[in-house]
Amino acid sequence: MGMEIPFDVANIPGPEMGEVAPPEVIGSYISSAKRPLLVVGSEILRDDFFLETAIEIGRRGVPIAATGHSIRGFVEKEYTENVSYYNLHELTNCLRDPSWKGLDGKGNYDFVIFFGIVYYYASQMLSCIKNFAIDPLIRAVSIDRYYHPQARMSFTNISPEMEEGYKDMLNRLVSSIK
Amino acid sequence: MEELKKGGIFNISDLKNVRISIGEIVEEEEEWEPMGPHPMPGIATLRNWDFLLLNRYKPFYAPLCDMCCLCTYGKCDLTGNKKGACGIRMDAQHGRIVLLACLVGCSAHCGHGRHMLHEMIKKFGGDVPIDFGPEVDVEAPLTRLVCGIKPKTIRDYEKVFDYIEEQIVQLADALHTGQEGSYMDFESKALHMGMLDSLGKEAADIIQIACYGMPTSYEGGGPDVPLVDVGIGTIDTTKPVVLVIGHNVPPAADIGDYLTENGLEDKVELAGICCTSIDTTRVYKKAKIAAALGRQLRVIRMGIADVVVVDEQCIRADILELCQRVHSPLIVTNDKAMHGLVDRTDDNPDKIVDDLVSGRVPGVVILDPEQVGEVAVKTVIQMDKKRKGLNLILSDEEFKYYVNDCILCGNCTLACPNGLRIGEANQSAASGDIEPLAGLFDLCVGCGRCEQVCKKHIPIVDVITKAAYPQIKEEKGRMRIGRGPVWDSEIRDVGAPIVLGTIPGIIAPIGCGNYPNGTKDAWLIVKEFAERNYIVTLTGCMAIDCALWKDEEGKTVYEQHHGRFDAGGVLNIGSCVSNAHIHDAAIKVASIFAGRPLRGNYEEIADYILSRVGACGVAWGAMSQKAASIATGFNRLGVPAVVGPHGAKYRRAFLGRPDLKDDWKLIDATDGSEIYFEPGPQHLLVACETVEEALPMIAKLCFRPSDTDRGRSIKLTHYIDLSLKYLNAYPPDWHLFVRTATDLPIANKNELLKKLEDEHDWEIDWKMKRIKEGPIRGYDPSFNPTNLRRLIREKKK
Ligand code: SF4
Ligand code: SF4
Ligand code: SF4
Repeated sequence: MGMEIPFDVANIPGPEMGEVAPPEVIGSYISSAKRPLLVVGSEILRDDFFLETAIEIGRRGVPIAATGHSIRGFVEKEYTENVSYYNLHELTNCLRDPSWKGLDGKGNYDFVIFFGIVYYYASQMLSCIKNFAIDPLIRAVSIDRYYHPQARMSFTNISPEMEEGYKDMLNRLVSSIK
Repeated sequence: MEELKKGGIFNISDLKNVRISIGEIVEEEEEWEPMGPHPMPGIATLRNWDFLLLNRYKPFYAPLCDMCCLCTYGKCDLTGNKKGACGIRMDAQHGRIVLLACLVGCSAHCGHGRHMLHEMIKKFGGDVPIDFGPEVDVEAPLTRLVCGIKPKTIRDYEKVFDYIEEQIVQLADALHTGQEGSYMDFESKALHMGMLDSLGKEAADIIQIACYGMPTSYEGGGPDVPLVDVGIGTIDTTKPVVLVIGHNVPPAADIGDYLTENGLEDKVELAGICCTSIDTTRVYKKAKIAAALGRQLRVIRMGIADVVVVDEQCIRADILELCQRVHSPLIVTNDKAMHGLVDRTDDNPDKIVDDLVSGRVPGVVILDPEQVGEVAVKTVIQMDKKRKGLNLILSDEEFKYYVNDCILCGNCTLACPNGLRIGEANQSAASGDIEPLAGLFDLCVGCGRCEQVCKKHIPIVDVITKAAYPQIKEEKGRMRIGRGPVWDSEIRDVGAPIVLGTIPGIIAPIGCGNYPNGTKDAWLIVKEFAERNYIVTLTGCMAIDCALWKDEEGKTVYEQHHGRFDAGGVLNIGSCVSNAHIHDAAIKVASIFAGRPLRGNYEEIADYILSRVGACGVAWGAMSQKAASIATGFNRLGVPAVVGPHGAKYRRAFLGRPDLKDDWKLIDATDGSEIYFEPGPQHLLVACETVEEALPMIAKLCFRPSDTDRGRSIKLTHYIDLSLKYLNAYPPDWHLFVRTATDLPIANKNELLKKLEDEHDWEIDWKMKRIKEGPIRGYDPSFNPTNLRRLIREKKK
């Protein structure tokens, strides 16, 4: 198998590039994480399905940081249970600090899932986590339809034609969160 | 020998065995203000101020590349904050890259400024007075502030550039392997570079204003500057069209002069792209603005220009190839960008024209602006005839062929900086719906990367242009020409409302066109804040791009709003170098309104601005190294900036942490007591993902500790309202900015008091409608905030 191509083709960071992982593997990591966090961005608003997926993950006990203007969607769906607005830069800045208290005041996270964030902005923030949130280690993964080399684990690039297949992957991911 | 005073007398016959070397003759300086503590600061002079900022707004790094390859020890893998062979860690290496970016940006502005000074002294002599009319006494706030110099003529800028250039070299030295090793110190140096950048820009603009008689406070200037046409649709292509691109106006100005002198103003179109176009409209009233940077490739490829004249900065590196493709001769006018062409400066102009028109050469270098004027105009008149009938827009058949030929491989999308789904849009067009393709025109940043990877060799840029052609022809906006300095009299009128907060802020949309989602965002930002009575001051590409859109009445933001530096104003300050006047406006609030000493007093003025002037830069499409140095210069002066999501690729942000209480301590200069305060401004540099997120963020970054309760209540109204409008939610941190019940927006005071009680456990005295307990601090109208211990008036007993 050849090297996976980053969604932004020249975005090759260096020797450590994320693995492509199937949804079930990412799902099982989420399940075994002590403090997982779902970070969603504005692209989840492009289709109700993505918003519902995020809410479903939230319902399974993973708190949600809604970045960009994605909080709109949650408010409209009246799902505000464990969702807070955060600017992505601010949030990542907090994540890199081990003493950060988290969204609930109970401390930082160990597993962060990026979903529906503008590709290049997400990539930069994943890079910060990879390079600086190292002690204790925070694993950051992406479940977007892009290959994200700065994430520890990521899906592969998925073309719009394969949208249904992508949705199916998300469904599999959600159902594998125990 | 002692320095000789000009006009002094000495007797030469008394001198024996003396060698006389004539140095600089020192003119007696008029004592205009006592010198402050930091004239012409060196690298370490303002380091304490920088560290104060950097400790509150800690540098945040997001590497774009995990390796370093700057020396032959490398490549070094720095992943996970490892050290390279030279000992530098990833964080410091990124501070180093940021300093490098600021070095490049600052050098572009200052190199341009120095070049301008040379040209202007050659053309007009060094004695051109700096006189901006009856309303501008403080003509050069940054020059006074940083250098301690009050410039009287353009020649005085020799000293200013000597200082800047020396500092740039010293800072560049720090980039060498085996020098600086601390990211904090790299950032302090970057802030120093940013300050030099702002000074260099001020110098460049002042020189060109003085020499070309650009708008000032003389009649017709300031708020009364005229409107000009903006947009590709405004260019009359039935006439010969000269297209100027770049940032250095002299060649374009001389083209304008040549047209005027030869009665050709109505026969030839002089249009521009980027800052040269903005500055051309400041010197030649028939000039038009074709587009901002983002449309450069496409304007050329559309074949609008019969001659292209480039000067410096933001010119496409493949400009010659682009011009050849559309048979537009290229004239390059600046030794910094010569594109491999032959220097014909000393040749006979008619011979050059003949060579260009005949196509014997695709382009020439001409370094004398006057010569450019003559050659460009003579060439364009002949080229127009020659290029008549040339149609560079795809035919319907060609368009159909290409969209049908697309195999949806997705290579273009992977190459596109905005990840645009071109294949799918082609597919829609093939089945008869061209809207998705036409819609890409404004989202595209015009880079051309997609075409290089298309295995079917589809000229994607041309295909999109063809689909959008009807809308492009209607791209007809209006924009105020660059007005240059904000007047002292305007500052006197608005100084108090700005510091008290009743004018909720100065919003400064500036810089390039690397937008995440098209030019309309630029318009929306301006419109939202102008309608809310902020003062909106624009420069560069955002000043152009926001003028492409109109409201329901068919008016642009410039037509809808006045041009005064006052609530609700929409001011085009000018080109990129003109944005120094936005720094200057903030500085003048401190010096003119508040009476703070200006000369050589950077630290105190920056401290004042950080605590009291609610200004926020917005570089929504920031792309260049210049934008990096501009933002860093704003930051050192205490002005925060918001960038678009591409701005995260600058690798560094300056982010505050409201949850860390000790980061937010101020001193009351009245008695020296220390006060915890609300995070205003919360960040110095932050990226937002979408414009919807940016709008409340910009409003948030206008909070300042000096706000009065009335001012705070106005600022809170907008922060909450923008958040509700665009995020459909209250901002989670609005309560941090409440000090007292009178800070609350009057319209929904009760509701907000209830929220404070229910959601934040604040104690409310409902009878008195007062807050008993909860806020970070209470409201004290006599609070005199400072970060500098030396400004304490009287030590607390
Ligand atoms: S400058 Fe330092 S980090 Fe960079 S390649 Fe050389 S040794 Fe490695
Ligand atoms: S030219 Fe436009 S569509 Fe093509 S890659 Fe660049 S931004 Fe994308
Ligand atoms: S690269 Fe060319 S063929 Fe492939 S999707 Fe893009 S336009 Fe179509």
